[in-house]
Amino acid sequence: MIGSVDDPEPNDPTRSGPPLLQADGAWLSHNEIEQLCLKAARGAGMSWGLAEEAGFAAAWLARRDVDGPAAILSQITHADARSWHEICPEVTAGQVTARDGQELCPIALGTVLCDRGNNFIGSKQEPLLSVGPITYPVLLLPFLSDISKLCALSISLEWSGRRVFVGPNGEVTGDIPALESEPSIHAQIKVGSGPKPANANALRAFFVSEDTLSGLNRYALRTTVPASEMSRAGAGADDAD
Amino acid sequence: MDCASLNPFPKAAAFRRPPAEVMRLARMGCAHPSRLSFLRTLLRRMMDQGWEFDRPVWDVDDAGVGRAVYRAIGPDRIYSLVAFAHDLPDEMRSDRVIATAWDATFAMFDGEPSDVDLDRLQANVPLQEAGRISQKELSLSRANRSVRLFEHVVDRLATGDQPNIDDVAAVGYLMRTTAVYGSGKFGAADLATVMDRPELNVPFQVEMLSVWLTRQFTVDIVEHLARVRGGARAARIDPAIRKSLGVGNSTGLGMAPFLVRHPILLNNWMMAREEALARVRAQPEAASNAVCEFRAALSDARENAQKWSSTHPIQVTKLDALRSDLDNISGYSAHWPTSVTDHPWDALWRWGEAHLSLEGQEALLALMLEPHGHLVDGLAECMVADERASFRLDGSMTVDALRQRLEQSYDWALTIDFDLPDNAARFWYVSEEKLEPRIGFRFEEDGADLEQPLCIARLAKDLHSALQEWSKEAPVASFLLAHPEHRFMVRRVQATERHPYAEVRDNLIAADMLPIDLMRCKLAFFGASRFDPRSDKWVRISLFQDLPYPSDLSPEAWA
Repeated sequence: MIGSVDDPEPNDPTRSGPPLLQADGAWLSHNEIEQLCLKAARGAGMSWGLAEEAGFAAAWLARRDVDGPAAILSQITHADARSWHEICPEVTAGQVTARDGQELCPIALGTVLCDRGNNFIGSKQEPLLSVGPITYPVLLLPFLSDISKLCALSISLEWSGRRVFVGPNGEVTGDIPALESEPSIHAQIKVGSGPKPANANALRAFFVSEDTLSGLNRYALRTTVPASEMSRAGAGADDAD
Repeated sequence: MDCASLNPFPKAAAFRRPPAEVMRLARMGCAHPSRLSFLRTLLRRMMDQGWEFDRPVWDVDDAGVGRAVYRAIGPDRIYSLVAFAHDLPDEMRSDRVIATAWDATFAMFDGEPSDVDLDRLQANVPLQEAGRISQKELSLSRANRSVRLFEHVVDRLATGDQPNIDDVAAVGYLMRTTAVYGSGKFGAADLATVMDRPELNVPFQVEMLSVWLTRQFTVDIVEHLARVRGGARAARIDPAIRKSLGVGNSTGLGMAPFLVRHPILLNNWMMAREEALARVRAQPEAASNAVCEFRAALSDARENAQKWSSTHPIQVTKLDALRSDLDNISGYSAHWPTSVTDHPWDALWRWGEAHLSLEGQEALLALMLEPHGHLVDGLAECMVADERASFRLDGSMTVDALRQRLEQSYDWALTIDFDLPDNAARFWYVSEEKLEPRIGFRFEEDGADLEQPLCIARLAKDLHSALQEWSKEAPVASFLLAHPEHRFMVRRVQATERHPYAEVRDNLIAADMLPIDLMRCKLAFFGASRFDPRSDKWVRISLFQDLPYPSDLSPEAWA
């Protein structure tokens, strides 16, 4: 039996489908969080390579019971339609700012810091960098964690008298709820003493709220193409023989 | 895992085929299943370790509706396939993603499900994509009956007869899976969280186990329905017919991008297979029992090639070539090896390269691995990939070093002229209506501005051009600060530096590109047989055909 033209592809065993919305949200695997946030970031205008970094950051946080997906949604909503020129970090001695006094994107900043690896690492207890203003700064932690791993030293993010540490084995500790609630901060990044061991990678799924899910899905949908008759014609068939 | 450090045959490196030969679409589109295929590795492990299988729950009514549990009991852990059997009206039966009901639905449970678990799964698994499973589950799948064969088999068995063997051969399965969702899909556990288990540290083991237990279900449900209909008269299915039945699978375009999206995984699969071939070729002699086993495998392959049918013109041509090639191998190997043949397996391989089509050469590869389990089976452990480990790129690399790397590993891409319409005719995208990968015609359809980054050759060439504008000594970090659009490709170039088989060395947006070539390669690694393209974008295959059932390994549980 030859299939009708309105639905040419028999099935797709590799895709991640849209998560079902329960009354108030859904439990998502890390894989689902990473893929959804990657697509949403791309939909919001990030390059594919940066969008991969956004997906990485969201899943890293979710694995530690921090709402990375919500932070990604806040960030891409905040930066939607802003050009790379505006959010592009400018690196000078001991300091990173955005151009023309704009706010730094934590994904762009984190990526730049990771790309430069341990070139930034100064002497212990000395300020490594002053950064800011940076929006949704909790998104910076996954990148600081990767740098910590690279240089085998713990790193602290300090702002307004508060601190969060990340360690070389993926640990994170400190005033995370405060950091999560900050929409924008000026901060210092330091090489600090080791954080207390924290339970990293223990979580197997993370609950994402309906608002966050629908928001991310809305951006992710921007990466898709409406079907055309051309793409459907002769692409496949359904047979129930 | 680093395969090189485990290599008991360092001399094999000299016999390894280069990526420029192996990683071409035309050759990948001729790949054959081998003893390194994932379903073969699964069966080997379960047999070697003495796994046991049973069916503690069979709660299926006379209409064929209900639930069942199949257990795979290993030395350390138990996995349970939870099956839901449905009574599906014919008009609702569809293999497509938009289908909302199936003849049977399944979830692989990590451990032994309680009644509460079963009730939870019953409320979700039959809905498939519209339901949610939990971290206690490892996969979600469904299957539909073969309308041609299923009813025929039930009818015949009900009257105490056996099905017509020509009808059985023409279809080859009672049911076909239409999707098997693994790692982390729809709320299931991420593969990364269970990869420390040896039995899951080979790609797609959960999915293969799910399909294998599903194969048992397909036989159990036809025999159940035959008993309902025929009572005492009903027959069990003949063991030889039963063995010839696999599980069908229809696979669409969505599978094609997988190998491109997972370059390190692709490298590890290819590298393991190529290392296996090289180890066999490097043997200075051919043991007589290995030669016997090779001839037996060749005989099976010739029989399989006779049973393998397709109506797709491309596959028809390939099958003709394969049958002729297998005849030629048989003719040549009748007088091989002679007493003076040095490195006889290598001699056989070189003869094959000179005399066989690509189909025949790749079939010969699988045949040559068959008698050499002791040399090659350990390579299955090298086929997983920790993609996260190579995610972070090295920004301190100089622009010049990156350019040189591109010119070495992507030389095949840099010579393509993308200004020629035929070289940029297609584009990969994700469809809004079904959120699945598709391929379109760039100059005739809208949407190319939303192209997916699967056009690796062109991305490599664009990166190469952009690098020309930069100082040789500049760090890549500075380049990427100015050019975030090249980040994806820079990461890829760096990540694949130690992975020579990571890239498909063909233009994936060329007018004449065939997505089914990518699918054939991936499905051969699964262990799929009887590859039957239904268009250039979707295929039918069979899994586990001619291999044992769980009830063959634990007959007492099905007595």
